Amino acid sequence: MSSLEQMLQQPGAMVECDDDPEAVYELLCEKGWSDGLPVIPPTPERVERMLAYCDRDLDQPVVKIPPRYGAATPIRIAANAVMAGCKPEYFPLVLLALEALAEEPYNLYGTQATTHPCTPLLIFNGPVAAEVGLNSGHNVMGNYFRANAAIGRAVRLALVNIGAAIPGVGDMATTGTPAKFTFCIAENEAGNPWEPLHVERGLPRESTAVTVVAAEGPHNVNDHESLTPEGILTMVAGTMAITGSNNPYYPSQPVLAFGPEHAATAASGGMSKAEVKRWLYEHATLPLSKWSAEGIERRFRRKIPERFANATPDTPVHMWWNPEDLLIVVTGGAGKHSQYIPTFGNTRAVTRALKHANGEYVKSVRDLKRG
Amino acid sequence: MAQLRKRGLIAAVVCSDKFMRLGSAQAKVFGVPDLPLLEIQHPLGGLSMEDVRKRAAVALPQLHKVIAEKRR
Repeated sequence: MSSLEQMLQQPGAMVECDDDPEAVYELLCEKGWSDGLPVIPPTPERVERMLAYCDRDLDQPVVKIPPRYGAATPIRIAANAVMAGCKPEYFPLVLLALEALAEEPYNLYGTQATTHPCTPLLIFNGPVAAEVGLNSGHNVMGNYFRANAAIGRAVRLALVNIGAAIPGVGDMATTGTPAKFTFCIAENEAGNPWEPLHVERGLPRESTAVTVVAAEGPHNVNDHESLTPEGILTMVAGTMAITGSNNPYYPSQPVLAFGPEHAATAASGGMSKAEVKRWLYEHATLPLSKWSAEGIERRFRRKIPERFANATPDTPVHMWWNPEDLLIVVTGGAGKHSQYIPTFGNTRAVTRALKHANGEYVKSVRDLKRG
Repeated sequence: MAQLRKRGLIAAVVCSDKFMRLGSAQAKVFGVPDLPLLEIQHPLGGLSMEDVRKRAAVALPQLHKVIAEKRR
């Protein structure tokens, strides 16, 4: 008997419902197992098919998801992936993302339970991302593309259904963000004038990886006029310089998602990615006087006294603490737009590669197929 | 706090009313469903010192009760 069959024999493992899409939708919403949108019914047959590309023990927890610290077994994750609309070949990327989120530096407990409107931004690089059809071109952060929509949604459903990030109980977000439905992109590596994100973060170019970031929703940088690196970076820095972000309070890693055309302009004078980061760090500032008197006293003087105890009103506040900590990714299609994505702040991005059990990098998702 | 409680020490968590469900759920997750939650009015962030003292005045009798019960 398979693990799945054994699990289904346990009390409460199955719920029955009329074989009707509306009835299934009603039931799953009633139970709080949907994100509010219709889902695919996770029947045993569909869950079994979802596990076709899973090389793990099906009933052994891959991770535990706070705040409930629910055991995320492949079977449970697969049920959520079915509901989200995943194809079976997406499943290894869902698992990879959850493993990255569970790494200590990400602070999954804090990001799940906080009042802040953060959600996992999943940034994929490498051949398997392209193989499964993750969009890295036009409308990359928007609708329409199944892999982006379903992989991000599967992760979100797992965070709620396994981790109990239930609004008002385990997820205390004051307003949340529409990015909580799904926020999953791939880097446009062909449009990137610098090294891809996963290579910058220490992985080989031929590997497939996810970088997870506890992100707010994106904010647009519109610039149709600038022709020089200084021009486009001035516009980016201006968009980054805001008072309402968590990032100036922590050694944090906000994200700049350059559109390929903006990236080409920024790189046109020969600036490296590191030099772009330093330029933006130095120019994305606001004077301390832009914060409220209470904010200056409580947030800056008391909590960061080493920098602000005696700071004058015109002291520049950098939007993040260390120049190199800005994450730069190039994504999207043609056009003169980029996105600035602040974060939860008290979190670090985690990059994790897709590997076989023997430690080798996965070259194709087909290599993970069972049997 | 859960670890302190498990070791038999007097332990309690100050929790604002809006966060009582989270606090209660977390106490169960960490194996101390009877962990006392000292309920105060939300919010705690962004208060004047005067308002912080008012919250403390609400929490303190609850703490006294926890201590008294533990000593019985």
